[in-house]
Amino acid sequence: MIRFLNSFWYNFKEYIILTALVILSLFIISQNHSPAVQRIRAIAFGTFATVTSVVSDVVNIKSLKKENIQLRETNAKLMLQLSKLREAAIINDELKGLLSLKDTSGYPLIPASVVSKSLSRVQGTITLNVGSSDSVKVGMPVITDKGLVGIIYSVSGNYSIARTLQNVDLKITVKDERTRENGLMKWNGENLVIINVPKTFQIKKGDRVVTSELSSLVPFPIPVGVAAGSNNVETGIFNEIKVIPFVDFAKVENVFILKTVASKEIDSLELNFLKKFQ
Amino acid sequence: MKLNYIISLLIFIPVLIIQTTVVPFISIGEVVPDLILILLVYYSITEGQIYGTVLGFIYGFCFDLVTGSLLGSAMIAKTVSGFVAGYFSSENKVDIYLMFFNFGLIVFLAALIDQIIYSFFSAFDISSNIFLIFFQNAFLPAFYTALLGMIIIIFVPKKRIL
Repeated sequence: MIRFLNSFWYNFKEYIILTALVILSLFIISQNHSPAVQRIRAIAFGTFATVTSVVSDVVNIKSLKKENIQLRETNAKLMLQLSKLREAAIINDELKGLLSLKDTSGYPLIPASVVSKSLSRVQGTITLNVGSSDSVKVGMPVITDKGLVGIIYSVSGNYSIARTLQNVDLKITVKDERTRENGLMKWNGENLVIINVPKTFQIKKGDRVVTSELSSLVPFPIPVGVAAGSNNVETGIFNEIKVIPFVDFAKVENVFILKTVASKEIDSLELNFLKKFQ
Repeated sequence: MKLNYIISLLIFIPVLIIQTTVVPFISIGEVVPDLILILLVYYSITEGQIYGTVLGFIYGFCFDLVTGSLLGSAMIAKTVSGFVAGYFSSENKVDIYLMFFNFGLIVFLAALIDQIIYSFFSAFDISSNIFLIFFQNAFLPAFYTALLGMIIIIFVPKKRIL
C-alpha cells in the first residue's frame, strides 16, 4: 500500500500539488467576507501602501508640475464661477428658507492621493493614502472635480481601498439629469451600463447621468458620465444604456472622499418598514 | 531550494510595487501588462513545475491581499499559470525556452490562462459578448505582457542571477 502511495505520489505529485492549491484557493474565495479575512487584508494593504506611497510620490513628481498648471487654470475659472454662484446661493438660501428646505450640501471633503492602482478590467480598485485615522469609513464616496470615482471598500489605519466604477462588484443607483428617470448602473466588464431600463424611458444620447437620491451609497447627485446610447435588446421590455464616465480611472491621482455614509436614520426607517410587512 | 524561494519572494516585492505604481502609466486603453506573471514564468521555466505552481499560489495570494481584488481569484489564476509554464522546464532546454521569441510565447500562453481564470472568478456579466470579453480581458493583456516579457528577457543575463 505504502509502495503504491509512494509510486502514486512520485508519478502525480505535480497534479496533486496543483489540485490541493486550487482547492485551497477556492476555499479562500468562499471566505472573502469573513471578518478575519477582512482584518488580515486591512493590515496587509496598510503595510504595503506605506511603501507604495513613497514610490508613488517619486513617480508623480513629474506629472505634478503639469497638473499644477492645469489646477491654476481651473482655479481661475472656478473663481469666476464662484462669484456667480455666490450670487445664486444668496438667492437660493432665501428661497430655500421660504420653502423650509433642509440644506444638505455641506458635506466635508477629505483630500487623498492614489498610492497604487489595480487596473484590472473587471475589478478596478485604487489605494488611497487616508484611512480610519482621517475619519474615512467604508461606504464613503470617492470623487474628483469631474465626478464620482468609486466607493470606499476597505479601511486600515492610514490607508483605504476604493472600488472604482470599473468594478463588477459595485452597483449604484443613478438618474438621468434631464428626464429624472432612475436606474441601476454597473460595470459589465466592458462598459458602464444602466441595466433594466424600460423602453418607455426617454434617456437620450448625451444626457448627463448623476447619482440618484435613491442610492443607499451616494445620497445626493454627483456627476457620473454621459449616456452614450442604448444597447437595443430586440426582445423584452428593457434596454441597456451605455454610460461614458467623466473620470478617467487610469489617470486619476488626486481625489476627495466625501465624508458621509448612507444615513442610518433612513436605513432604520426602511428596515422598520420592511419588518412591518414580514 | 528554500533559499531560492526566499530570493524569488524578495524579488517579488519590488515587482509588485512597480506593478501597482509604475505599470498603470504604461497601460494602453486599460490594457495592463502583468510583470508578476513574467517573473512567475521565468521561475517556472528555470526551477520546475512544482516550484512554479507553489510560487504562483504565493504571488497570487500576496497580489490579492494588497490590491483589494477578490481574495483567491489571482491566487487560483497564477497557480494554474505557474503549473502550465512549468511544462517548459526541461533541464536541458531551459536556455532554448528563455530565448527571446520562445519566452514570449510561453508568457503569452500563461498570461492568457491567467487572465481567463481571473476574469471568470471576477464574475462579470454572462449576458455580455463572451468573445469580446475574452479578447479585451484576456487576449490583449496577454499579448502586451508577452511583448514586455520579450523585452525584459533580452536584459536578463544568460547566467542566472535571479
